[in-house]
Amino acid sequence: MGKKLELAVAVLNGAVGDHLARTGNGLATAMTLVANGRPLACTRAALAAAHPEASARIVILVHGLMCTEDIWTLPDGSDYGSLLARDHGFTPLYVRYNSGLPIAENGKAFAALLDALVAAYPVTIEEIVTIGYSMGGLVVRSACHLASVAAPKSAWLALVRRAMYVGTPHLGAPMERVGRVVAKLLRAVDDPYTQLAAELADLRSDGVKDLGDADLRHEDRARRLPRMSLRDPRHPVPLLASIKHFLVAGSLSTDARLASVFGDSIVPLRSATDGSCIDAATFALPPDHVRIVSGASHVALAHDARVYEHLKEWCA
Amino acid sequence: MSTRERLRGLRRLVEEAVEHGSKAVEDVHKATAARTFTVLEAIPPIAKPAKVVHTVHDLWLSGIYGAIRVGNKVVGKTLEVALDVSEDPGEREREREP
Repeated sequence: MGKKLELAVAVLNGAVGDHLARTGNGLATAMTLVANGRPLACTRAALAAAHPEASARIVILVHGLMCTEDIWTLPDGSDYGSLLARDHGFTPLYVRYNSGLPIAENGKAFAALLDALVAAYPVTIEEIVTIGYSMGGLVVRSACHLASVAAPKSAWLALVRRAMYVGTPHLGAPMERVGRVVAKLLRAVDDPYTQLAAELADLRSDGVKDLGDADLRHEDRARRLPRMSLRDPRHPVPLLASIKHFLVAGSLSTDARLASVFGDSIVPLRSATDGSCIDAATFALPPDHVRIVSGASHVALAHDARVYEHLKEWCA
Repeated sequence: MSTRERLRGLRRLVEEAVEHGSKAVEDVHKATAARTFTVLEAIPPIAKPAKVVHTVHDLWLSGIYGAIRVGNKVVGKTLEVALDVSEDPGEREREREP
């Protein structure tokens, strides 16, 4: 019941979480670490109690839209974090947040959370590995960008040397862009019923709207920048050179063209791999930093043994 | 966030949904009726009575939807009070503790 209730609240947050936060509604989820399904305070005592054998290397997992940390759970009850603890000695930390907020706001909150974590963690942190699933990957990128432009730079940024993105729509999610066009078309029709439908369509949260073009800053959404590759020097939030980036994409179809368009059913391959599936020759990341998992749907990517094998290899 | 805070949040969200939802449906209702009344009001022999009926109709609709919103607020406030009354005095203090 507890997990189902948390999932229901997470779905509500993803759908209208910006409104909930704006109106101070008690259903709005504040960004927090969680352990065993309960919020984990970012204090030395709480972290030490939750992780008595805390390692100097931590892996922090950030879920996607409308879900909780439970999305990471594999059929056998393990998850990417606990498996990395077993195989490589990482201490896993899980984040829960209001996925209806603008990605920029969640990025800011995540950066603040990492600041607090580095200050309160029971042992000196040597490395932070991030694993972001879907929107979670964009939140990580937004936080890293904020930390890189902050003066002075956040201490945690130097500790992040590897960032892994699982099914992250780096070039945006077409489904949201279709929703945007449909809402615009409905609004253009001078009929009270279609106007009502347009209002309902516009109820979707800022977080959902940001996914359309993977807007990581408030000003990007306002400007509606043309979609560009993360290696494009004009990109407002490129992948940071100080971090090794690893991308996992899912593909439901074995046909290259279909896979390119539909990808894992939510995120096209081109978006999840920053175009490397099509344009590998000019891709900025080493080829072995990008993996495509065939037969994996978007949701399955968060708890797939094949995905874990890639993460395990990259975390070695 | 505690269960009680979430219950308060749910109560408030439902109240907001009924408030905004009833207003949206009222607008659609009036706009749809206005199409017919606009045609009737353009016919000289029945224009004046049609305008009167239109006004009465809109007033009646406003009354009905307004009553729904008032009832919604009353139910909301009642639930809020019930939540306050059922709260253990020490509960709020305990919730504030980390």
